Amino acid sequence: MTTLGVGPADAASPVEPGERRRTTPARGTRTGSLPPLRGLLPLVVFLASWQLVASRLSPFFPPPSDWASALLDLSRSGVLLPAAFATVITFLLGLVAASVLGTVLGLAVGASARTDRALQPTLEYARAMPPAAVVPIATLLLGFTGTMKVVVVTSAAIWSILLNTRSGVRQLNPVMFEMARSLQLGRFERVRKVTFPALLPSIFLGVRVAAPVALVITLLVEILTQVDGVGALIAQSQRNYEFAQGYGLILVAGLFALLVNALVSMLQARVMRHRPPA
Amino acid sequence: MTVERSADVSSAALGTQPRSVACQCRNASVDLGSRAGPRRILGDINFDLHEGEFVAILGRSGSGKTTLLRVLGGLVDPTPESVVTFHGRPVAGPPQDVVFVFQNYAASLLPWRTVHNNVALGLEGKVPVAVKRARISESLATVGLEARAADYPWQLSGGMQQRVQLARSLAMRPRGLLMDEPFGSLDAMTKASLQDQLQQVHQHTGATIAFVTHDIDEAVFLSDRILVLDGSPATIAHEIPVELPRPRDQLATKELPEFLRLRRQVYDAIVETGD
Ligand SMILES: Nc1ncnc2c1ncn2[C@@H]1O[C@H](COP(=O)(O)OP(=O)(O)OP(=O)(O)O)[C@@H](O)[C@H]1O
Ligand SMILES: [Mg+2]
Repeated sequence: MTTLGVGPADAASPVEPGERRRTTPARGTRTGSLPPLRGLLPLVVFLASWQLVASRLSPFFPPPSDWASALLDLSRSGVLLPAAFATVITFLLGLVAASVLGTVLGLAVGASARTDRALQPTLEYARAMPPAAVVPIATLLLGFTGTMKVVVVTSAAIWSILLNTRSGVRQLNPVMFEMARSLQLGRFERVRKVTFPALLPSIFLGVRVAAPVALVITLLVEILTQVDGVGALIAQSQRNYEFAQGYGLILVAGLFALLVNALVSMLQARVMRHRPPA
Repeated sequence: MTVERSADVSSAALGTQPRSVACQCRNASVDLGSRAGPRRILGDINFDLHEGEFVAILGRSGSGKTTLLRVLGGLVDPTPESVVTFHGRPVAGPPQDVVFVFQNYAASLLPWRTVHNNVALGLEGKVPVAVKRARISESLATVGLEARAADYPWQLSGGMQQRVQLARSLAMRPRGLLMDEPFGSLDAMTKASLQDQLQQVHQHTGATIAFVTHDIDEAVFLSDRILVLDGSPATIAHEIPVELPRPRDQLATKELPEFLRLRRQVYDAIVETGD
């Protein structure tokens, strides 16, 4: 599970305000947000030594070259691609739904001190709910379906976005809105031209944390429920003692997590391009 | 800089004939909530602003200057019995043709918009694109910032940022400007140069201006009339006409005996109200 660790480790680390500065190449157009590939060196070294040390005969620790051929077999049998597609779609739908809902709810909660105070305990409670505990309820209500998967992913990924948006709203300077009113901007125009852009950095702080969470939960719900996807394949290979295949799938999922991280970072840097470097 | 409404403006600015009333404030009171419940901040304020007049509002810190200006700008609701009108219409929300200029220029500019696009904010979708462009370059030229149009506000000095805010207001072609200590946090040199620019804007546009300040010299130098707020709840404790010749000059005007006399008078008014 080493490679999958990329996701949760990042999600667990608190996002400090300083984080913004690091991912803001405001002074140049450098795509400094892409993690340098040499950071993958330890993984490569690890896999290479595994390859050298591993005995062909051990069923539990097959060498990485076996993983590759197992993946190829899987791909030839026409199982891998649809599974990968199902996983990516679930992940994307879940993340997008979490972003939209999280932003809207965060706005609604943060906009009034009263609702904010009233909902605080509920939010803390809901956030602490482990996604694995949500799965049985979700399957009960929605069955073993793609919708169920998306709902579980959304419910896990929404929190960092909602809470970041909420605290973003609370930090907005009221002068910004009085200015907009004084310039005769309508209500909708104020949301579109002032509130939303002002909150984008907060929203993206949340999305950055939510993206790896969404991926991990996508795989988790697939492993737990066996509904389509790479996670379901991982669970199957473990059940069938197809360890080479299992390791291969885990490696692929990890690489996808890296890619997602890089993409979100790039998007964030793009959004923050013209912001003050503070 | 092009001159707008010059015909009716010059007569108003010269102040020879009786001017029409731009803004009316009758029995205006304001209650604001504190922890101990609502507190009366302004009590029974009465005054008029005349078309094209420059009125300075002075008073000690916390006397209610900002609150009064916010009432005129429709950002704070006065008590129901208050009568506040701008250009003949009751103020409910920010009045058309009146723009508020904030002391906190940094918070009033949108950091993700260029200077040009900040100035565009109030015009977007309201005037044709060509008109919008022309007005933006014109108002940026007025404050001497046409060269910085493509920059972001946070790349500008404080004085420049305040000029951007002024340009954004001017681009709206306002008939009224409500300015809350706009030069309060600027150094003396920048302040003087912005005062000169504001004076020119006032003369060329004939806008009605209410200007809150802590600075007695600034109030006397710029205004046609000074209102001194005092009391709890605050009322207008003094009203001092300023009849210095225009255009005014940073050195020559400030050496006039009349300037020194007014300065003294305003100072005494503020000190006396404090006792
Ligand atoms: N939103 C508010 N809620 C409650 N009380 C307020 C609010 N805003 C201002 N006040 C109170 O109203 C009074 C007048 O405040 P105001 O800001 O108008 O004073 P000011 O004359 O502009 O002061 P300064 O010169 O320091 O800017 C103060 O006692 C202040 O505590
Ligand atoms: Mg004030």
